[in-house]
Amino acid sequence: MADAASGSTDKSVQVKLVLLGEAAVGKSSVVLRFVSDEFQPNKEPTIGAAFLTQKCRLEDRVLRYEIWDTAGQERFHSLAPMYYRNAQAAVVVYDITKASSLEKAKSWVKELQRQANPNIVIALAGNKLDLVQPSASSSGTPPTPGEAPSSSGGESESLRQVPREEAQAYATEAGLLFFETSAKTGEGIVEIFTEIAKKIPIEHILAATRGGAGRPGAAGGRAGNAQDAAVNLEENANKPKDACNC
Amino acid sequence: MSTISTALRNFKEPTKEQITQNFFSLPSIPVVIGKDAAGIDEEVEKMDINAVLSLGVEGEEDSYAGKLYLMAPYLAFSSLDKKSVRFTIPLSTVRRVERLNARAGIYALSLALWHGGKIIVQLTSLRPTADLFCALLRDALKIELQRGRMKTVKGFVKTCYSEVLISGSAPTPSDEKDEISATEASESSYLGGLGLRFKFPGDPKKLREVSKIKLWTTYLKTHGRNLTLLRYPQCTRLVQVGLPNRLRGEMWETLSGSLFLRYSNPGLYEQLLEQNAGRTTTSTEDIEKDLHRSLPEYAGYQSEEGIGALRRVLQAYSFKNPELGYCQAMNILAAAILIYMSEEQAFWLLEVLCDRLLPGYYAPSMHGTLLDQRVFESLVQRCLPIIHDHFQVVDVQLSVASLPWFLSLFINSMPMIFAFRIVDCFFCMGPKVLFQVGLAILKINGEKLLQIQDDGGFLNLMRDYFASLGDSAHPHSTDPRARAITRFQELLLVSFREFSVITDDLILSERKRFRNEIIHSIETFSKRSAVRNLRSLGRFTKEQAGLIYDALYQAMCVIPPPPAQLPPPALIHEGLEEKPETRIQLRTFQYFLSEIATWARDEKIVSNGFQQRVDRDVAEHEFIDRLFFFWDTSCCGALSFQDLVSGLDGVMFNDLMENIEWFFNLHDKNKDGFLTKDEVLTVSESFLFIFRFEVGDAYLGAVSRFMTNAFEYGDALLDDVDHKEILEGDEPGTPLPLPSNQPYLNLATFRMVVLADEILESFFETDLSASFRLDPVAELELPTSSSGLLGEFWSTIATDNNKKMFNMFTDEIGKTIGKHQVIHRPSIGRYKNLEEPKARESLLTPGMRHSTSKSSLRSSPSSSSLRPSSPSQSLTVEVPSSTNLKGPVSAVGFSPMVQAANAALLARPAFTIDDSKDDEDDDDDDTEVADNDDQVMDEVDAFLEAHDSGLTDADKEVAKDLLNAEPVK
Repeated sequence: MADAASGSTDKSVQVKLVLLGEAAVGKSSVVLRFVSDEFQPNKEPTIGAAFLTQKCRLEDRVLRYEIWDTAGQERFHSLAPMYYRNAQAAVVVYDITKASSLEKAKSWVKELQRQANPNIVIALAGNKLDLVQPSASSSGTPPTPGEAPSSSGGESESLRQVPREEAQAYATEAGLLFFETSAKTGEGIVEIFTEIAKKIPIEHILAATRGGAGRPGAAGGRAGNAQDAAVNLEENANKPKDACNC
Repeated sequence: MSTISTALRNFKEPTKEQITQNFFSLPSIPVVIGKDAAGIDEEVEKMDINAVLSLGVEGEEDSYAGKLYLMAPYLAFSSLDKKSVRFTIPLSTVRRVERLNARAGIYALSLALWHGGKIIVQLTSLRPTADLFCALLRDALKIELQRGRMKTVKGFVKTCYSEVLISGSAPTPSDEKDEISATEASESSYLGGLGLRFKFPGDPKKLREVSKIKLWTTYLKTHGRNLTLLRYPQCTRLVQVGLPNRLRGEMWETLSGSLFLRYSNPGLYEQLLEQNAGRTTTSTEDIEKDLHRSLPEYAGYQSEEGIGALRRVLQAYSFKNPELGYCQAMNILAAAILIYMSEEQAFWLLEVLCDRLLPGYYAPSMHGTLLDQRVFESLVQRCLPIIHDHFQVVDVQLSVASLPWFLSLFINSMPMIFAFRIVDCFFCMGPKVLFQVGLAILKINGEKLLQIQDDGGFLNLMRDYFASLGDSAHPHSTDPRARAITRFQELLLVSFREFSVITDDLILSERKRFRNEIIHSIETFSKRSAVRNLRSLGRFTKEQAGLIYDALYQAMCVIPPPPAQLPPPALIHEGLEEKPETRIQLRTFQYFLSEIATWARDEKIVSNGFQQRVDRDVAEHEFIDRLFFFWDTSCCGALSFQDLVSGLDGVMFNDLMENIEWFFNLHDKNKDGFLTKDEVLTVSESFLFIFRFEVGDAYLGAVSRFMTNAFEYGDALLDDVDHKEILEGDEPGTPLPLPSNQPYLNLATFRMVVLADEILESFFETDLSASFRLDPVAELELPTSSSGLLGEFWSTIATDNNKKMFNMFTDEIGKTIGKHQVIHRPSIGRYKNLEEPKARESLLTPGMRHSTSKSSLRSSPSSSSLRPSSPSQSLTVEVPSSTNLKGPVSAVGFSPMVQAANAALLARPAFTIDDSKDDEDDDDDDTEVADNDDQVMDEVDAFLEAHDSGLTDADKEVAKDLLNAEPVK
């Protein structure tokens, strides 16, 4: 309680992030891995939405993610706007072993781009990477992403229904960050959140919260400017990386 | 891509009779098994009568005035205040009915019930009414006897734990060792849940199980049980302190009425599972995903036994109600109730939950959930305005927290032992409990809620509060008894005492108030996502696609498509197209097209001296069927929204040449680039169909010129081919008849023929595209879901039938006074009078005119028969724009009434945080008295409210007398 009330006074910036995607693609598991670095094979399905928070340090900035983990079943779809309104970031999750889940993800992206906050940063995450990777015992050299789909990859690779290239191409076209992840092994999870943190227009959020909460103050304003500069620098520094990444 | 449901449109407000049935927890539709032939005509009329109920044991309970209902095969009673006393009893448990010999003028019956209990009802209506009631009761009992239902009682009650409890073979209440007694008890045949094997949640000592069982045993002995339970105030109070674990399942069944479903449908559950064994549907797949995610921390769901039970119950329900299927949150409910009841019991309870107690909560659109959230918000606004205003200011949405409360009955919000106590009250007192508890939660946390700044803070606060429900509500009080009150007890007290204004009636009227708003927003939402999910918009804007959607939606309301079929276990599994997509059949398409294209409807402007109206019918013609299959690119005999959009895109934006080509392709069945001779005839038939209501002979002339020219050109071209063929052929000298599939006319020739005629040219240049109009056609309104006072009133007056009758009536009068007149509205209406445009100079050289085809002659008589035969021919048709019926206008007059009703609603006492200070003192008063067994009763007393029996002392005297009265011989 005290924390929530004082949240905006400390240095951290609150970022509202929403997770969307088909049922049972592992949205909750992705969050759980990020928030408490755990994995539960049997997560209770989310009713409505679950709410979690996690801080994320990026250079000198601390972002406090407020994560809304939504229910995936189709009929909960109409409730989703309640959760993604005002969101500054979204992670749309699909299951790389299920082609239909990417279709659903695409429709989420479409919806977000049209209905949500216009500056929303969207990341596409293909989860359950562990299912298509050769088990640790059988392979000493994990296939690099580039060669994985082309090489037959053995039995486990055949589970994959969404080629990495296809999803990557789509993400680039739609202007999304793209990752393949495994909530089970933890691969790629933290990266989603740090990359989002880099891409988020923090100065917007600061301005908005200052304006919204009605907290005037020269000191705050000055600090904001300084942060703007820092962030801009950061974004510039990341440009080449972003360009190749998404 | 998506499914479009019109189900919400069909919602009807419950009738008075249905409300009564719901109140008494009766199955909404009498389920007849194996329809015995005599069953239907033997239905006994329903009747209610004023009565005074007394329990056949002196001194045990007061007498209550109320109403006795005969709703065969049930008998039900409710006291006047609708909450103190009530019962619902299957007639088959009535063993003996006697007319009592009492004071003059008093008409009383004594009913002996299966459990040996006796109730006395004094019928206080007029004598003839009472006589009629008795006669009906006798008939109804006779039918039950004939059906052999009386004999089924004995076997059925054996499945109820209460019987074991009463007979004393149950584990003695003093025996604290549950485990041992559990194995003992399982030998008898009563049904129980997983809790018997895997333990019930909570500490039995803390829950004071023993005392509770003792109290219930006493109550059930004197007031009947399971099928014959009489609910006196004591019953409600005992429920409010929490049901004992072993009895909980059965009491849930009894209180919710699911017991009656199980009683009247023996074996149905097993049957459902058997018939559908091995079937997989979207629902079963969804269920499978969630089985291991339902109360996973409970031991029972870590075993195959628990998982299996959960799977079967959820699957059985999805088979029984495929339209609803399975919705996440149902798994949590099912898992929770399976702890306390057997699979069959849980199945029926789930049915009652989804069907009656939480209507529409789990439906594919979840409209019930959204509606009740809206209702809850409005109640918060009314009862806790300060909190509501604060939420508005900081833009916090109530539903982010409250939606899961309602959807899972608090089970995954609170610690289970507390949630189950709310569920107890919910089954006993109805859905209003959810609203009462919800309001109480907000009120208790009022101070802190005013501090929160965002959704996150709200959720955290609620989470902390729920985690502390077991703590003392007054930890710093000097009074040890006050300190003993937990926050949960405080919550229930606030819920039922301060929010007793929240009644079932209020909830019903609030739902009514907001239903249309919710339906509208759901429809808007699904429209938006349907448009968004189109693979291609073509050249349409989103708004235009929305209009196409509207037309499609309207068509589906009128002619619903068959339920979306799951693709059969496909041999070629696409993987992508898993979800069933809404597709419409030809019939619906015809209606859809009649909304869009002027020539696809028959519009008659009828004037009869009283009114002028437009009668509209859907046209049927091969041309429309042709279009249907032309647009059905996936060849599945049904069109999706996308097909319609693409199809319309293919014609609405065309220029002259494109239109001609489109029309050509439409008629070129085998797509070889040639029309056959038959197809040329079909083309002209299509023309005639489209032009059927045009004024004057211009269009007829154009069509016949088209045919003449087409056949001349065709033959001319064919001659070349023929000559070749004849040279090679075997039958020289007999060029006719041509095989019907012989390519005859190619696009270039077709184009030339069409362009030879001014009328056809203008038709293809502008008129064809313009005949498709997306703007909704006025006047024909949707079957609106009746809303509020106005809607209800309107729906009773202005049903379609009434309107038709009114129209017919005025037509008849119009005919007799000679003012009846019918004018067909033309589809194109370019030429408004008879002046015939001149045919163009023929393109054909005189030399080519020699061979007028025989077939062109053949068609001319048929075309003349299509000539509009109405007297309208001589008239200039002014298309009337204001043809709306007068009906809706008169409805405006009701709005003052609506306003008055709203004002009355708002005038109810508002409960705000501020004016409830004095209640806390009450809490303290309630918590006096001693320890041990009585402690439970303390809590019971805390809920004690004045129960008005509705009787004067004299009445009570009479009622008392009856206890000792002798039966009439």
